[in-house]
Amino acid sequence: MVGSKTWTNSFKYVLVIIGISIAVFPYVYMVLQSLAPWNQVDRNIIPTTFTLKSYHWLFYGSPVVRAKPWGRALLNSTIVSVSDTILMVLMAAIVGYALSKLRFRGRDTIYNFILFQMFYPAIILLVPTFLIVKAMGMYNTYWGMIIPKAMSIWAIFMYTSFFKSVPQEVIDSARVDGASELRIIFRIALPISRSITTVVALFLFMSRWEELLWDMMVVRSDTLRTLNVMIATMKGPYSVYPGPMYAASVLLTLPVLIVFLIFSKEFAKGIKLVFK
Amino acid sequence: MKKVSWVEVRGWSLTSPYLVFTLIFFIIPLVWGIALLFTHWNLMSPTREFVGLGNFIEAVKSARVHAAFVNTYKIMGIFIPTVIVASLSIALLINSIPRFKGVIAVCFFLPYLVSGVASSLVVKGILAYNSPLSPLFRALFHDIPDWLGNPFLAIIVICLMITWKLSGYYALIFLSGLSSIPKTLYEAAEIDGAGFWTKLFKITIPMLYPAFYTVLILAVGLSFGIFTEPYMLTGGGPQLATHTWYLEIYYQAFSAGRAGYASTVALINAVVTFFSIIVVRKVMERWGKAHGWQ
Repeated sequence: MVGSKTWTNSFKYVLVIIGISIAVFPYVYMVLQSLAPWNQVDRNIIPTTFTLKSYHWLFYGSPVVRAKPWGRALLNSTIVSVSDTILMVLMAAIVGYALSKLRFRGRDTIYNFILFQMFYPAIILLVPTFLIVKAMGMYNTYWGMIIPKAMSIWAIFMYTSFFKSVPQEVIDSARVDGASELRIIFRIALPISRSITTVVALFLFMSRWEELLWDMMVVRSDTLRTLNVMIATMKGPYSVYPGPMYAASVLLTLPVLIVFLIFSKEFAKGIKLVFK
Repeated sequence: MKKVSWVEVRGWSLTSPYLVFTLIFFIIPLVWGIALLFTHWNLMSPTREFVGLGNFIEAVKSARVHAAFVNTYKIMGIFIPTVIVASLSIALLINSIPRFKGVIAVCFFLPYLVSGVASSLVVKGILAYNSPLSPLFRALFHDIPDWLGNPFLAIIVICLMITWKLSGYYALIFLSGLSSIPKTLYEAAEIDGAGFWTKLFKITIPMLYPAFYTVLILAVGLSFGIFTEPYMLTGGGPQLATHTWYLEIYYQAFSAGRAGYASTVALINAVVTFFSIIVVRKVMERWGKAHGWQ
């Protein structure tokens, strides 16, 4: 017997499938076009034959055009995003622990200042920060991309509020056992908030991976550019090579997708706590 | 006495990374930025010319700044209603189905992972004159619209791109709000004979007030910081129709090499953002109070 409820549910799943198709269409399109013969790029959604020519061109160039260091760009993106994510999480965990679990004088002042920074539009600091980075000799280096982005006020705020729920008795008994504060942070506080850390780290990683403005400003050499910047700066002369540009976009998107899918279960768990 | 100093030492040493970072990358730039406001400086030359309020006067009169100012509100006018309808529909849909909720929510979140650089390339490709979608456009509009060359259409394209990217993310915020609505409310309403729309407007939307608040503040903040999509697709054109604050700041600082002027534009942007968010918050709070939602 097919009741009206079954019909409604089937209809809902049809809507879900349509919605997801729209959501993933650019992924599919990007992959298909990167594998298409060059005379079919942006002409057919599904190419009649598949070829790796675009990828080959990207890494080896052609007699007319020398290859840009795309592999290096992918490595640069990885170096910058991974180190910044680790630094942001570590710093946020340490500072968040101090602000939520240690009653030292000045704590409230620091916390209030953090709230102020969170609502302070960072754009005003863009040009002067660039000048400081230049003055410190970090222009056109990895440090110039990594250091100024190594702290996230949002992450500190998140950890400060989540560490409040770590039971005080657990911390006290660890102290009695002679554990240092750093040991308490990394052996007790962080493991307890694993799903939160997954969500925070994923959001930080994703936004660092697709940073464009800052990385474009502080780096000039091709060998230091992140993949995102490399693609963005190619838009003029390379627009006659759309196939390889799609191949580069696939290289840009795939790592984030893989990292996200690996942690998606933990992410789904943590996201409920984040928006509570 | 000894106990107190122990906490002080630990507290200050654990927060010291934050303090050092804030000094170098917040306090010093803040002061330096204020000094920049009153100068003409091209980022290289040893001399800086003091111009008083010259930068402010120029920025307030600039057609490019006017365009950025107006466009941001246009983008909000299109993007915010669209993204709220889209993300709320996704959340309601996921919330009402019996199985695979988690996986489906994750699928809708996937657009958030695509860098604006990559999605811009795709959009450029599918909107090109001979693209695989052109037969569809021809059937729908009788002609292929000049998507990125028409001032009105270009801004719509950019709004739809950011809607596509953020709907799944905002849907997660609505979903977590939906999960905290007590089922008994709906049961009571059903006994009184309430239909789908009545339940939506009398129960769901009022109970989602905190989620609406969060989404709205996020969306307004985001609208002021749009850069990648217009940078990749239109460069701010046609006729400044998609020019944004960040494009103008980037252009003035690094293409025109005018550090002082760019800082001035950034300050004006910050002030405008700040007041817009305050207005949105006040309106939302008043609206919430009037209905007893908070």
